[in-house]
Amino acid sequence: MGGVNPVRAGLAMLGIGGLLVFVAAAFTPLPNWLNAWLAGTPRLERADAIVVLGRGGSDSDGVLTNRSLRRVMHGIELYRAVLAPRLVLSGTGEEAEARATLARGLGVPQGAIVQVGAARTTAEEADQIAQLLLPRAERRILLVADPIDMPRARAVMEHVGFRVLPAPTAATGPTAPEGRLALLRDIATEMASLAYYRITGSL
Amino acid sequence: MRFDPRLLVPIIILGLTSVGAYLVGTRLRILDASMLSRTAVDVLETLGLAVVFLVGNLAVGTAGILVFRALTGHFVSVYVVSDAVLPILSLIQALVLQRWRERSR
Repeated sequence: MGGVNPVRAGLAMLGIGGLLVFVAAAFTPLPNWLNAWLAGTPRLERADAIVVLGRGGSDSDGVLTNRSLRRVMHGIELYRAVLAPRLVLSGTGEEAEARATLARGLGVPQGAIVQVGAARTTAEEADQIAQLLLPRAERRILLVADPIDMPRARAVMEHVGFRVLPAPTAATGPTAPEGRLALLRDIATEMASLAYYRITGSL
Repeated sequence: MRFDPRLLVPIIILGLTSVGAYLVGTRLRILDASMLSRTAVDVLETLGLAVVFLVGNLAVGTAGILVFRALTGHFVSVYVVSDAVLPILSLIQALVLQRWRERSR
């Protein structure tokens, strides 16, 4: 009888770990708790501008992705609540355009909309928005982002000089196993992005 | 957050078909019940190997994109490596490698 192969034992332990993560992610509220925790406490107060960061762009036919749509709808809701006189819509060129069209269609005046297009990363978005708003002394912003994106988005916007009031979109997240798995994947991706930003000095 | 009993549906389905396969397999003497625990350990090893492949694929993909950006100046989002197909493909990689190892004995 041979001894235990350490490589195979290690793989089996790793397999148990992977299985436990899978079960916890799919069948428990763990991803939802992490989502709500990352969102932090919203501060829906008067600000100089509402900034809706890009997320996922739009499909080839110009239809916004689910998350992009949820963000812009939340931004429009905040504008209608008269929390700021300006609505800044960021994202890829098509995404910002589609968002502006939607906002106008829902009654936001053209003069209140500021489009920031062609940004590829959150850091680029922050730089472009800072160039537009900070010269006008519009420093206090309501920042609209997904709960999981809020820590990095907030840090990046504060890094370029804004005073940020977090306004995350809905913070509980999906309850079906497939949605929860996707949420945990997105949380892991976002944590990796946060680490990358810290390592490269973007924060 | 209230518990949603619909979460149990996939587990119940999986349980029913697993018990069915066990009963059919052992009654028809296709499967040896005494080998079940050993098989479970083998499956855990395969899952562990899939985790190793997944981490490797993520690392190679991310590094490749960063190098591509640095060399060409073209922007490619790192988010492309977080696609849901990567864990599935990593599992297939692990299954192939395990079966290959068994056939190579």
